[in-house]
Amino acid sequence: MNHAGVLRLVACIVLASFVLLPLGQAIVLSFTATLEADGVPMGSVGFHNYLNILRTPELRASVGNSVTYVLLNVAFCLIAGLPAAYGLARYSFIGDRHFLMFLLAFRVTPPVVLSLPIFILFARAGLVNSPIGIALVHCVFNLPIAIWILESFIAAIPRSFDEMAFLDGHSRTGFFVRFLIPAIAPGIAVAAFFCFIFSWVEVVFARILTVTAGKPITQAITALFTFRTDWGLVMAMTVFSLIPGVLMIFLVRNQIARGFVIRT
Amino acid sequence: MKPHNNAAWALLLPAACVMIFVAVLPLLAVLNYSFHDIFSLNKVFWVGTDWYAMIVSTPRFWFSLGRSALFSTLALTIQLPLGIAIALMLRKIGPRGASLMLMCLAIPLVVPTNMIAGLWLALIRPEGLGGQALSAFHLTLDYKFNPLHTWALILLVDTWHWLGLVVVLAYAGLSSIQPAYYQAAAVDSASRWGVFRWIELPQISGALWIVLLLRLVDSFMIYTEVMTINAGGPNDATTFLSLELGEDIKAYSYGTAAARAMVDFVFVLTLVWVFVKLRQTGDPEGAQPQ
Repeated sequence: MNHAGVLRLVACIVLASFVLLPLGQAIVLSFTATLEADGVPMGSVGFHNYLNILRTPELRASVGNSVTYVLLNVAFCLIAGLPAAYGLARYSFIGDRHFLMFLLAFRVTPPVVLSLPIFILFARAGLVNSPIGIALVHCVFNLPIAIWILESFIAAIPRSFDEMAFLDGHSRTGFFVRFLIPAIAPGIAVAAFFCFIFSWVEVVFARILTVTAGKPITQAITALFTFRTDWGLVMAMTVFSLIPGVLMIFLVRNQIARGFVIRT
Repeated sequence: MKPHNNAAWALLLPAACVMIFVAVLPLLAVLNYSFHDIFSLNKVFWVGTDWYAMIVSTPRFWFSLGRSALFSTLALTIQLPLGIAIALMLRKIGPRGASLMLMCLAIPLVVPTNMIAGLWLALIRPEGLGGQALSAFHLTLDYKFNPLHTWALILLVDTWHWLGLVVVLAYAGLSSIQPAYYQAAAVDSASRWGVFRWIELPQISGALWIVLLLRLVDSFMIYTEVMTINAGGPNDATTFLSLELGEDIKAYSYGTAAARAMVDFVFVLTLVWVFVKLRQTGDPEGAQPQ
């Protein structure tokens, strides 16, 4: 290995340690008893923090809540996003560029700007404390992402593909279900992954819309911070909350750039 | 060319309805609140543009704006060149190593946003690995009371969170450059800087524009990390625009909060507008990125 090669190796190791250090610390803490409780002495190593997650009803419930609204959000984004992406990929029409610009504006609007009226509006509509409310509001940033990703996959298919199906007498709905969806299945998976993850990590909307019930994992973790914080349990829950994200990175490792693409 | 058909709006209808309900209606509500003084939902008074006048006449708002602008500048100055340099280096270490590094760098992007700062605070508390390393070198990180330390920590945490995004997008841009460009440069015996300036930079500019916009808006309106680390302290030293807005919301001052939210939204909208305009002038083909 030449000089430059050694330098690159060192740079990669430094970079990887910088990224992994806080995560390593979290993993170490998650297996360590940080509070004396249940006859487990301080500093002992084991799975007790993870067992405590299973034993605490609020933590168990929060996992269910998070999974519910995240999956609902993915469903909303795909159902509303697919026809819109098809329309944008296949036709030009009055206001198409403005629609993309409109999506971009709300994609980058910080949640804290919209949080107050969203709460008041959703309280009137009875959507507070409900997973449907969070799933809907996460569409603000996820629906644009889903539309952009799906549009790029549909645009890659030649238009003759659609025309063949229509010539064979298929209706538009039949074409969507039997031809388009199978043809862009990888795109649907990529879009679903990104919607899943951006909804999973979002906290501002999820907090403001869960006042008394339906708290997500992120809120359950915040609630663990007290005057005597059990860091081991906090980190066990945090490590647990990272699992879907890390899994997703592995599954879409060659497509990560697509999740941040913007169409104008 | 795509066929022109205005009936395609029917396909956009479901998405447009969702966006109107969750984005446009709330925004109109903010606009409406910002002209009212709201004691309760039944006691609402029209105050015109009083809230806006009050906001722009308070020095605190301008200081927050200045701090947000400074923070964005620092974050971008650190993260963009560093991320591009890392992406260039990853191009040299082979696809398997690069793929591993990219996956590693992407992990912070999928950490729940309220735990980003939590992970770092766990690391630097006295019993943590980072805290022990600091004390071994007789260094102290007094992020609760020393404003410089608070700023440094927030910048460090933000860089940790978002560096991967810059690298992933810059790397994707670099990977799409045709080898013929490099061969031509080798024939002309171009310098390394020349290759970067005249081949790589123009080819990845599409990806970099996106990073620039996302990072600009997100760093300008950073909230959760700053809130967790020191809640805008010490002495307002890290009170950014979004934290002032958060304070108003927590104090139930709906009118001021709404006016502030509108001001912040206008800032974001301006950034988006400038971005789109620059993209269109820079790329006359209609600014269609990959």
